[in-house]
Amino acid sequence: MRRALVPFAEAAFPFVVVGILWQAFALFGPFPPKLFPQVQTIFAAFIRLTASGILPVHALSTILRLILGFLIGAVAGVAFGIAMGRYRLAENLLLPIISLGNPIPGLAYAPLFVIWFGLGNVPAVLLVGFASAFPIVLNTWTGVKAIKEIWIRAAESLGARDRQLFWKIVLPGALPYILTGLRIGVARAWRVLVAVEMLTSVRLGLGWLIFGAREFLNTDVMLAGIAVIGIVGLALEKLVFQKLEALTVVRWGMMEQ
Amino acid sequence: MRVRSTLGALTSIAVACAVWEGFARSGFVAPALAPSLEAIGAAFVRMVLSGTLLRHTLYTLYRVLFGFVLAGAVGVPIGILMGRFRRVERFFGPLVSVLMPIPSLAWVPVFILWFGLGNAATIALVFYAATFPVIVNTWTGVRSVNRLWIRSAEAMGADERALFHKVVLPGALPFVIAGLRQSFARAWIAVVGGEMIAATSWGLGWVIFDSKEFLRTDVMMASLAAIGMIGLAFERLVFGTFERRTVGRWGMVKAVRG
Repeated sequence: MRRALVPFAEAAFPFVVVGILWQAFALFGPFPPKLFPQVQTIFAAFIRLTASGILPVHALSTILRLILGFLIGAVAGVAFGIAMGRYRLAENLLLPIISLGNPIPGLAYAPLFVIWFGLGNVPAVLLVGFASAFPIVLNTWTGVKAIKEIWIRAAESLGARDRQLFWKIVLPGALPYILTGLRIGVARAWRVLVAVEMLTSVRLGLGWLIFGAREFLNTDVMLAGIAVIGIVGLALEKLVFQKLEALTVVRWGMMEQ
Repeated sequence: MRVRSTLGALTSIAVACAVWEGFARSGFVAPALAPSLEAIGAAFVRMVLSGTLLRHTLYTLYRVLFGFVLAGAVGVPIGILMGRFRRVERFFGPLVSVLMPIPSLAWVPVFILWFGLGNAATIALVFYAATFPVIVNTWTGVRSVNRLWIRSAEAMGADERALFHKVVLPGALPFVIAGLRQSFARAWIAVVGGEMIAATSWGLGWVIFDSKEFLRTDVMMASLAAIGMIGLAFERLVFGTFERRTVGRWGMVKAVRG
């Protein structure tokens, strides 16, 4: 019993310290309580919004948008990346454009997407897909390039056809890189999505919730929304991707945990 | 080889330009929505000549560098302390892993309320975005300094200070640089996004967002090009050079891309 409690207390300790500092700043700091709410106010807002179903609905629509956009980005990114890794022409044609486009923040395209696709869900989802595709393309391409030549030759000399070569060698061989790319891609998608929801005025969504709450000076609602964003982001990283990695490449002995 | 790759890059960009030009002139979309290259180029030249592009760029650079330097000044020491002392690691580790996945732009509305519109909110945003990659990378770097190096320095009688300056810091430097690189990329995203929302009156992010109101797609594309070029220049020239001069030269990193 005590053994289980000690690590928990250790993990909680920094948050308690930050909570106390926050509370002290809220009580004695220069900001009025409306702008810098106390810890219990934020907590109460969190409970209230969760119980009334507002937070879950916003979170759900944000997650749906993330999944849709990320799927578009992942499919396009892996396809382009593999094409670039396998065919010289695709590589020569696409690589310079992608390396030029990669450093441009995805969000910078947001106004352009709004002009092209209107307000609402369509530009938000497309922009998420667009922004997350870049790291996925680059990582997939690197992964395909990094496959050991000897594996391919061995498979060929064992009589593997093009299709088998792809499914049995190229795809699994590139998978560690592809997974890293997907991981970076989903992190990017998440960042862009929260911001783009503020700009394209979707009807439901965590970004919109925070941005809308500013109009009414509901700082407690904003901070509760940020907490949910943090929880979802952490869950994506810890639960989804670490599991996926453990089930595939780590299990095949291609990567250490 | 180098000439060939440059030639290839030029061909690829030329093909992309041709496709865009065909799309813009095909009449599928109104020219106001997809301006031709000529219009984009003209807007770019006009903005350069009138000095507005320079002024927007300077404002953006001021914000991004201010926040980025602040993030380095805070993030590197915290990362080093986390790597050297278990207690510090236990305290900051959980905080970093909880705060890092929160997109910096989610804080914009809060920062606007706290710091008002303008420079302070944007700089705070850049700082938030840039600090965490620096901390995490520095921390990893200090922990991954070869134990053998530390032991041999100790065996040769290095005191704590010499150990730090001659072994730990240079040993962790490749990771620190990687962290700074990553955090600059994030800071660059944050500053553009922050300028769009925490509307000021200058800045590359602001000008893109503002041109939307007037359907000035040519100005938007020209500013996008400027954002891309500056981001690429920092990545390749500033960090690439720094990396070559230090860890590349010391033989700690093999492949340093130019």
